[in-house]
This record gives sequence, structure tokens and C-alpha cells, in this order.
Amino acid sequence: MKRQEVLAVLLAVLATVGTVVAAIWYDRSRDAGRDVVELLALQPKNGNWQPNEIRLERGRPVRLKIRNVETVSHGFALPEFGIGIAEIQPGEVHVVDFTPDRTGIFPFYCTVWCSPEHMAMAGRVIVTESVARAPSDR
Amino acid sequence: MREGYVLGLIPETWRFELTQFPWVRRLFKSRWMPLALILFNVFLFTLILMAGFFGGLMLPGNYNFGIMIVWILWWVLLMTVLVPVLSRFWCTMCPLPFLGEWLQRLRLFDVRYEKGRNPYFGLNKRWPKSLSNMWLMNILFLVTTFASGFFTVRPAATFVLLTAIIALAVALSLIYRARTFCLYVCPVSGFQGLYSNFALTEVRVKDPEICARHKQKGCVVGNEWGYGCPWLLLPYAFRRNTYCGMCFECLKTCEYDNMAVNLRPPGVDLLVDEKRGLDEAYKALIMLGIAIVFFVTFQGPWGTLKDWANAATLSGYLAFIGLHTSWNLIVLPAIFLLFVWLARRAAGQPVPLKKVYVNFSYATVPLGLAAWIAFSLGIILPNGSYLLHVLSDPFAWGWDLFGTAHFPWTPVFTGIMPYLMILTLLIGLLFSMDIAFKIARQTFAEPEAAVRGALPILGFLGAMTWGLMWLFVG
Repeated sequence: MKRQEVLAVLLAVLATVGTVVAAIWYDRSRDAGRDVVELLALQPKNGNWQPNEIRLERGRPVRLKIRNVETVSHGFALPEFGIGIAEIQPGEVHVVDFTPDRTGIFPFYCTVWCSPEHMAMAGRVIVTESVARAPSDR
Repeated sequence: MREGYVLGLIPETWRFELTQFPWVRRLFKSRWMPLALILFNVFLFTLILMAGFFGGLMLPGNYNFGIMIVWILWWVLLMTVLVPVLSRFWCTMCPLPFLGEWLQRLRLFDVRYEKGRNPYFGLNKRWPKSLSNMWLMNILFLVTTFASGFFTVRPAATFVLLTAIIALAVALSLIYRARTFCLYVCPVSGFQGLYSNFALTEVRVKDPEICARHKQKGCVVGNEWGYGCPWLLLPYAFRRNTYCGMCFECLKTCEYDNMAVNLRPPGVDLLVDEKRGLDEAYKALIMLGIAIVFFVTFQGPWGTLKDWANAATLSGYLAFIGLHTSWNLIVLPAIFLLFVWLARRAAGQPVPLKKVYVNFSYATVPLGLAAWIAFSLGIILPNGSYLLHVLSDPFAWGWDLFGTAHFPWTPVFTGIMPYLMILTLLIGLLFSMDIAFKIARQTFAEPEAAVRGALPILGFLGAMTWGLMWLFVG
């Protein structure tokens, strides 16, 4: 095989397999060192926040990926930790990084009047003392 | 208008050879052209498929890379620039048949050539003659549009469509020869072929005399520099863009550099009375009909129709399919038939009705293309800013690659959009009228009969334009 054929095949592999591997590697590396919680914003009649209850450990960095999968805007507030997102538009994903520094039960809310049941769109973060875990147990 | 001139201004025979410049010719003769473009699009389509797969059924389509790139960027570019200006240049760089062609040739860059031997892997069968036309593509494109309400909303729908097309292309490449899939099956190939007759670009032979003397015909059978025409054309003889996929193999295989890439006036292929058929006539009318249905359904004010197309209820969805199909396959062709019948009667010439119908259908191509361009303006101007979002966060994983992940929705020129749509339609109408007059001259022998025969067709074109303008501006 000539050198240019090898180069073409290499480029084809890079364009396909390489793209998939690179994207997944980049995403993993962005989240490295943190717990990641994917939070779906849904109106109460469609299931409310999912998960509705988030369990975290004190002192352990966490990344919330708040995803609006609906066709109305939502917002997000976790007042006890000073976290607020004014608007999460349909389809948008907002990333929030924080480290819970105290234990307790902390409510979070939708901050945009998204539906008649808007005021019921709430969930809670439960922060407990950290427990020793195996290194691979994220 | 002057005979032999487009809109009475530009000679129909005017050509400007782009490949007269040595660097342009070198570019087209290189085997990296179009491979480099295809590889780039393979990369883009990998991202699109990933976005479709991970986006699944949940995400709204407005922030999905697959939906935005395919249905906002690609479709609009295809209709506004690629087809009307560059002919089938999308086919040049389309990644969908990439895998199938790679399997056929067992090479990406090199030419697998041994004199007298079939260079292709696979069964290399001939496509059935009865299907060697646009009918299958007409039906497949129409059927594809049944799901148009989902493609722009559900990423998974785009994923399923694209993977199905790739799988079909691979399967057919292993059974049938060359680009059979692109020629006779690909849903988006048919209208590109027909509308490319209007395009400003062409690949053509320079001096047919040279080809007549040359016996080897490397452009047909292939040689060490390239493959025989994958689109199964005779590059030294074809006269219309319809089935030229602009792969540029003939520029590589021609030992005399006798193939050229030319600029030309718009619409001249529509006047070529060669291999015209009812399949292409229906393609022209279906495309015009679908443009109208799409505008009414997706950009019009009628919410019920949107619910029907989006399958809010099964009965509504079936009603959408029924009305959509009957309008495109029966009602619009029947309305056109009425005007064609009037044209034939007005001309008073003994020309078969089918011939008159087929010939005049080509006059609807510029108007149909203009309707699609206008529809595309209604997509890109209000929604183009979503592209900035998906470029930064292609899989909705919370990335912000270019700092535009939360770029607000920003409509552009929407205040003048209706006027741009009307202007586009009027330009299309102008070209359609010009083509209609010339086709009337081809169809009816006597000049006066031709003028009489053209008038009902002008009536049809005018009525369609008026109807579309009413839809655009109310």
C-alpha cells in the first residue's frame, strides 16, 4: 500500500473512531475528580426534577449537569449554597460546580414560572458526612 | 425575448472554464479531491450521529447538533447555494456512500486497476432497468417527508434516518455496481439531480472530436489514474447535470485533459430535450408540492396542521400523510395536467399530451427551487443562531468549546424576511417563464402556436407564485 493510501485510511479511522474516543475522553477528563449528578428539569406533571433527591457527601466536589428536556424554560436555585441559574432554556444544559461544606437537607427549586404546578417543582439535596470508600468507588 | 439567450441577456452557450487555470485543474485531478472533503464530512457526520444517539428521544431539537447541522445548516446550504450554484457538489463530498464505496474499491486513495479486470469487490450487478429512473427516489423522498415533523424535534429520528441510509448504501454497494444507490435510491439525490439542471456549474467534455478519435475511453472503463464514471454516464456525451455526481473521476482519467468544470448561465440544461420523462416531471411537481406543504405546515399559522405532522394524535398523523400524499401525487399533478391540456388546446398542434406535460414540467423547476430557497430563508434567518450553541456543546453534555454554549436566540433580518422571500419567488418565476416560452418553442413547431401554448403554463406558474406569496406574507 502506498503512503497516501495509509494516510487516507488513518484519517478515516481518526474521523470516525477517533472522534468518538476523543469526545468521550474529553468529557470524562472534564469531570475528573468530581462526582457528577445529571439533573433533569421536568414540570411536576411530567415527573418533577429527576432525581428528586440528590445525596452528596460533605467536602466532596460535585458537578451538577442540569438539563432542560422540555419545551418550556426552567430555572434552578439551591439557596443554601448560593447557587442560582436564572433561566435554563429548552434543550440547554447548565453546569454547576460546588463542594458542600455542611451536612443537612437543602431544598432546590425551579425559579421560572414554568407551569400551573410550578411551585411544586422542587427537590432536595441531602448532604451527609463523608464515608471512607475504595478509590474506584465514585 | 432573444432566441438563445437566458432572460434575453446571457447567451445560453456561454461558458467559463474554471479548469483552464492550472492550479484548479491540478486540484480536480488530485485523488485527494474529493476524498479530503468527504473525510471532513465523515468527521462531521460522526458528530451528528453521536448527537442523535446521545440526544435520543428526550432532548428538544433546537439544541441538538445533529438536528441543527442537518436540518438548519445542511438543508439550507443545499437549497440556497450548493444545488443552484454548484450543481451536485454535495454528492461530491457526501459521506453517506463513503463506507460502501470504500468496500467496493477496497481502496480509499489509490486506484485499484488492472487492465481487463473488474476492480470492484462485491456482486457488481446491474440495477433493474425498470427502476433505472426517478420513481423510486420520488416515493422514498415523499415517504421520508412523512416523518418531517419528527426530524426537527427528535434527535433519534435524524439518527435513525441517517444510519438507515448508510446501511442501505453499504448493502446496495455490495450488490450493485458503482453508485447505484446514489443514482436510483438515495432520497435526496433525485431533486438534486433535477434542480442541478438549473445550476451555474457543470462538468462537460471540451472537444467531442478528441473523444471520438480516442478509443480507450478511460473515463468509462477506468485506468491507472481513476475509476470509470461511478455514475454510469458516458462523460464524453452527457448533456444534462441530472445524473452527474461531480466526482471528477473523468477529469482524472482523461488522458487529453478534455474534461472541464465550467461556469454557465442558469437553467440551460432544462432546455436539453434528451431523456426527459414522466419520472422527472413528477419529481418537479412533487418538490413544488412538498415546498408548499412544508410552508403551510411548519411555517404557517395553522397549529392543528403542526399537531398532525408531529403525530400528536394517530388520526391526525394519518390525515397529514393522506393529505400530503394526495396533494403531491394526485391533486397538484392533476391541476398541472389541466393547464397542460389547455396549453395543448390553445396551441392547436398534434403533440401527444404526455410529451407536452413532461416538457412543460421542466419550466416549474426554477419556481420550485425558488420556493425551497424562500422556505430555507424562513428556517435560517430566525433559527441560525442556534448553530452557535450546538457548535460549543454538540452533545448537550455541558461543554462550552467556543464560549457560545449559552448564546441567546438571535433572529437575523426577520423584519425583511417576507420581502426576501417574495423577491426570491419573483426571480424564480422570471426564470420559469423564460424556460416555459422556450419549451413551448421546442414543443410546438409554429412560433405563434408556441406563444398560445405557453400562456396557460404562465397562468399556472403565476397562480403558484401568487399562492406562495400569499402564504409567505398573508
